[in-house]
Amino acid sequence: MKTILICPVHRPAVARLAQNEPLVLVPLLGKCLLDYWLEHLVDQGERAVRIIALDRPEQVRARVGDGSRWGLRLEVLSFDDTSTRSAPEHQNPTTSNEGVPPEHVIITDHLPGLPGVPLFESYVTWFEALLSWIPFAANTPDRIGRKEIKPGVTVGLHSRISPSAQLHAPCWIGDNVVVGSDAIIGPGVILEDRAFVGPGASVTQSIVGPETFVGEMTLVERSLACGHLLINWKTRSCLEVPDAFLLSSLRTGQPASRTPARVNSPLVSLRNLIPRQLG
Amino acid sequence: MKIKHDGYRMSVSHIPELSTVNSTAFREEVQAAIPPTLHTLDIDMSQTHFVDSSGLGALFSLYRNTGNGGGLKLRLLNPAPDILQLIELTQMHHLFEINHD
Repeated sequence: MKTILICPVHRPAVARLAQNEPLVLVPLLGKCLLDYWLEHLVDQGERAVRIIALDRPEQVRARVGDGSRWGLRLEVLSFDDTSTRSAPEHQNPTTSNEGVPPEHVIITDHLPGLPGVPLFESYVTWFEALLSWIPFAANTPDRIGRKEIKPGVTVGLHSRISPSAQLHAPCWIGDNVVVGSDAIIGPGVILEDRAFVGPGASVTQSIVGPETFVGEMTLVERSLACGHLLINWKTRSCLEVPDAFLLSSLRTGQPASRTPARVNSPLVSLRNLIPRQLG
Repeated sequence: MKIKHDGYRMSVSHIPELSTVNSTAFREEVQAAIPPTLHTLDIDMSQTHFVDSSGLGALFSLYRNTGNGGGLKLRLLNPAPDILQLIELTQMHHLFEINHD
């Protein structure tokens, strides 16, 4: 083992990001932080990596497996493993199998090659780091079918974008994304895989998570939207949107945070009337 | 809920939530209390901890029933940050003036 990756555990400034998975597995332009690090290490010629994952290690193990996907020999250590191995009869987890200190110990709190761009200091740094990663992510050879449809706007496979939608760079649109008519996307937007943006919606300076539904005529601005969770990265305010037709997860079994509004609620008509009022 | 007015300015306060549970009553009570000479309608949301689409619909009904805000000043006072997020998500901030102390 020449390299040890230490996964960040507790980052209170971005605690809501780790609600469903550890920070290294949070979706990030179609992959996750751990994917990018492992790809980077393979490019550097690494063949064996040890991952120390104290937060939900079972999810990390499920994601990386034995490393054969990258041609790596991988070992994922959790809290229990590190406790056991700290006993005198066992080796230190930060030493290699041969008892030799590793050449690299990396704390994965930034993207590979961008040490000056921290990910987890705040929601602002998370947003800025992801935007700065777009050119790197767009140019990797494994992004099959990704196209730059205009300068600074790249679109993934099987995405459907209405001809009347407006796209403003920089903008990353993942795979299998749907953008409805007259929607405004960008500048500064990442739509992760399988996101759905309804007609007339406006998304600017924001990230929409995978399988997230953004309802018709809604306005997502300076926010991280994932399922029904909406985080304003500027003010750090968090909202669990109570009505699925505004913002929700498309994954099954993830209902809105509270009883959904009646189908004939006044806002259904409001949704249709607002454009006329604003027009 | 408390409603006060002096014929010119009306203030609605002590609204713990605006949701499916109470939005109809809220709308009807406020609507009934509006005097014909009203110039400013203040809805104090400083104690409001939950709003859903029914609550926003009630606010929108007030906007509609007061002549789409024409000539009448409609203000939402001190909404909590998460409620302000919902107001902005639905673009209601284009219809109401949002004031913070």
